[in-house]
Amino acid sequence: MSAAVNKKPFDLGRTAYLGLNLVLLAFLLVPIAIVLVFALNPTPYISFPPVGVSLRWFVKFFEGGDFMRALWLSLWVAACVLVLSVVIGGACALALARGNLPGRAFLTAFFMSPLMLPAILTGLALFQAYLLAGIGRPVWGLIMAHTLVAVPYVLRTTLAVLHNFDRRIEEAASVLGASPTRVFFEVTLPLIRPGVFAGGVFAFIVSFDQFPVSLFLVVPKGETLPVVLFNYMKFDLDGAIAAASMVSILLALAVVVALERLIGLKAYVKL
Amino acid sequence: MGLIMISRRKALRAGAGLAAAATIGAPAILHAETKTLKITTWGGKWGDIMKDTLLPMFEKEHDCKVSADQAFPFLPKLQASSKNDPLYDVFHTNSNEQWSAVEQGLVLDKITAKEVPNIADVYPWANSDKIVGVAIFTSAIGLGYRTDKGITPPKSWKDLADPKLAGARGGYLIPVNSLGQCHLMMLGKVYGKGLQDLDAAYKALEQLKPIKLVDFTGQMEKMLLSGEVSEGVIHDSGVYRYEGANRQPVDFCSPTEGVMALEQVLNVTPGSKVKELAFAFVNFMLRPEVQKLLAEGVWYSPANKKVKLDAKYDAKLLTTPEKVATLIQPDWKWYNARKDDIDARVTKILKG
Amino acid sequence: MTSASIKLESVTKSFDGKVVAVDGVTLEIKAGEFFSLLGPSGCGKTTSLRMIAGFESPDSGRVHVGGQDITDVPVHHRDMGMVFQSYALFPHRTVAENVAFGLRMRGVSRSEIDRRVAAALAQVALTGFEHRRPAQLSGGQQQRVALARAIVIEPRVLLCDEPLGALDRKLRQQMQFELKELQQRLGVTLVFVTHDQEEALAMSDRIAVMNRGKVEQVGSPTEIYERPRTRFVADFIGEINLLDDGSKPRALRPEKIRLVPTAQARLAGTVETANFLGGATLYRVSAGGRTYLARETHSGERSPRAAGDAVGLAWNDTDIVTLES
Repeated sequence: MSAAVNKKPFDLGRTAYLGLNLVLLAFLLVPIAIVLVFALNPTPYISFPPVGVSLRWFVKFFEGGDFMRALWLSLWVAACVLVLSVVIGGACALALARGNLPGRAFLTAFFMSPLMLPAILTGLALFQAYLLAGIGRPVWGLIMAHTLVAVPYVLRTTLAVLHNFDRRIEEAASVLGASPTRVFFEVTLPLIRPGVFAGGVFAFIVSFDQFPVSLFLVVPKGETLPVVLFNYMKFDLDGAIAAASMVSILLALAVVVALERLIGLKAYVKL
Repeated sequence: MGLIMISRRKALRAGAGLAAAATIGAPAILHAETKTLKITTWGGKWGDIMKDTLLPMFEKEHDCKVSADQAFPFLPKLQASSKNDPLYDVFHTNSNEQWSAVEQGLVLDKITAKEVPNIADVYPWANSDKIVGVAIFTSAIGLGYRTDKGITPPKSWKDLADPKLAGARGGYLIPVNSLGQCHLMMLGKVYGKGLQDLDAAYKALEQLKPIKLVDFTGQMEKMLLSGEVSEGVIHDSGVYRYEGANRQPVDFCSPTEGVMALEQVLNVTPGSKVKELAFAFVNFMLRPEVQKLLAEGVWYSPANKKVKLDAKYDAKLLTTPEKVATLIQPDWKWYNARKDDIDARVTKILKG
Repeated sequence: MTSASIKLESVTKSFDGKVVAVDGVTLEIKAGEFFSLLGPSGCGKTTSLRMIAGFESPDSGRVHVGGQDITDVPVHHRDMGMVFQSYALFPHRTVAENVAFGLRMRGVSRSEIDRRVAAALAQVALTGFEHRRPAQLSGGQQQRVALARAIVIEPRVLLCDEPLGALDRKLRQQMQFELKELQQRLGVTLVFVTHDQEEALAMSDRIAVMNRGKVEQVGSPTEIYERPRTRFVADFIGEINLLDDGSKPRALRPEKIRLVPTAQARLAGTVETANFLGGATLYRVSAGGRTYLARETHSGERSPRAAGDAVGLAWNDTDIVTLES
């Protein structure tokens, strides 16, 4: 009997669904595979089939002073952006969801607006504003600019969590004797944390990969990795670019995995 | 002269200090002990030579700091900054951007031997009427080709249209690459009445399809090296600089109709607060030993007539009046005025 | 456990300045009483409860607990236990941490917390579940955790907002017994909000039936059921036959109507439908130009009647309740 039940007839829909997923996965992963091949290829141009395996481009990347300086700067900036956008975006989301503010829809749209604007314009506008204000282009200016475009991500994810938030949970805490401050730290914050940090992960990556906003805001010897790579590409289009891309991908992945482990985003998927 | 320069510099500094005291946010200028010269410069091998050797040398000679921006796009950044306090003192770009810049009053029209003594020694092309500022190097835009694919080595620009090269010839996205723009003008000269015969150029461009298009010159170099393209428009430096370790069967042809000039141009911004230093830098870059170092480093033809290159480089680069005579300089002022129309047209042609 | 009385004094609350949720409600709940606020949704029962808890403050009127005016005391100083329909457990904390929360807020010592949490979990038969997370528990178990969390602080008053509403029928009945039994054991004043009249009748010492922000009637389950004062109460609690033949509306419960041979009947009629309910059958009988509901309990032999059968209806006049108009 069980054999008859288990032997499912050919299901076209299911097969098509599986096929589509495989195609999508390939679409996402094949470019990365090509980058990897290029990164390990000893010639300074893509030769196909590869003529060998070499780590020379990784060596070039890690020994390149410009690359390393840019990598550290990018990591530092992204870390600051992560912290700032989590604080600002989280606070904004709370105010928007809970604050009973007049013109809430407008304010939400306003805070989300950096996503609507082409990032290159944001960069250019800030560049001009900074020059006009006479502050030059300090690193904190770059961090502020990245934060500006990263906050909407935190705002979005936090608002989503707040939207599904059962406020009775906070009421339960207060009726049990928790003051509003304690309710916030004991209940509200832990419960919105997955949303806030999911946004934070986005913020980190948005900053770490940020090119258009950085383009105008970096200074000589203070370029972020994407800017350095872009300019490197114009003169030396070799495997070091691919090696740098692999390192970036792995670093971004490592940060996401580390944050996941640290904060355990999965722990409260069910709210 | 040194004395005069110093006293003038002091005067300038004092002037700047006074002006600064009258405005807000200027203490940075007052406290600046050493001057900073802000320049743009290329990356890659060129950038390495600049950073490792030439900039430290210049800083030492002039007791200053040089802040070299290697991050594109230079022109929009200069545009966005104030003309009275420009982001750069010395603006290094290809000629076409210098023409855009001068029309917006962002750079000087002309630099003469009066400000930059070494200009007295340059070839005529380096400060011709096709140049704003002064050119310090040029490349020759011609054809690069594989010697191992059984194709006849090209002699003329017309050889790129050989039907056998269908799909294996390389060109540029003309709106974003000045080599592509030069090529288009050359097509007008070769197939029509002259560099400005756009109709003939468009027709000729149509005949080059199918063609592989790239936006960076570096990509064309790599496509030739990997054999993805058998023949393509390229500058001589983009072929010669790969001699050595990664030698591939690629050679460069200077077509009989002439090569297009891809000049490296320096210019000074009118609003620069350290103009003396800026001119000194341009002069420095035209100095024979500096020219030799860079020319041999990246295979650029030097602007200074007095430069003596090693035989290997001398044989291939434009180092004699005869060889220099094959150089055709595009009229960027004319081209830039029509750029939008041309962009629209070529995009339509090359889309198919 | 000490319990406290509750008094609502002409309490009024409206939202957005328009909708009057609670309209001049006055109630006195005795210490140790199981008191239900019963009514349809929107009748103001939950708002009343939330004003006792302190989540809402009344526009006018006062709230007293244990003889003290607490109208202006913030929620976290009211010392009450509360159980929500959605349980409102802290999903990021274990069962033990959930129960310990109120004690922690009161600065109770670690060992004392452990002892009292264990005791509270034992009260609700959840010993051994200390380290689970709420998501790993069934609905009934979650409700017990919510109860334990509310009683562990030994509140003077326990507020329950439709606490059994999310449970299935079987579990709900079991929990009704458990909750009632727990309340009696602890002697705590319990205010129970429900829209389920059966639940209210089964568990309460007294019930306040609410409608449109007002209290229609307060009384014991028997009083409410047997002697409904208003048409609304009569209609809301169980099935009723409303007899609008005189000057005042009158009501008659279906079980007070007997099905008899037509010869002995007050009214002769025809069975329209017969709904078998297990222990009884509910008949719809058309007689004298209207429909009557009659419930017949099955004691001994069943004498089933089917649709279309001719039956006679009989009742005692003393069973008729006269309602306020």
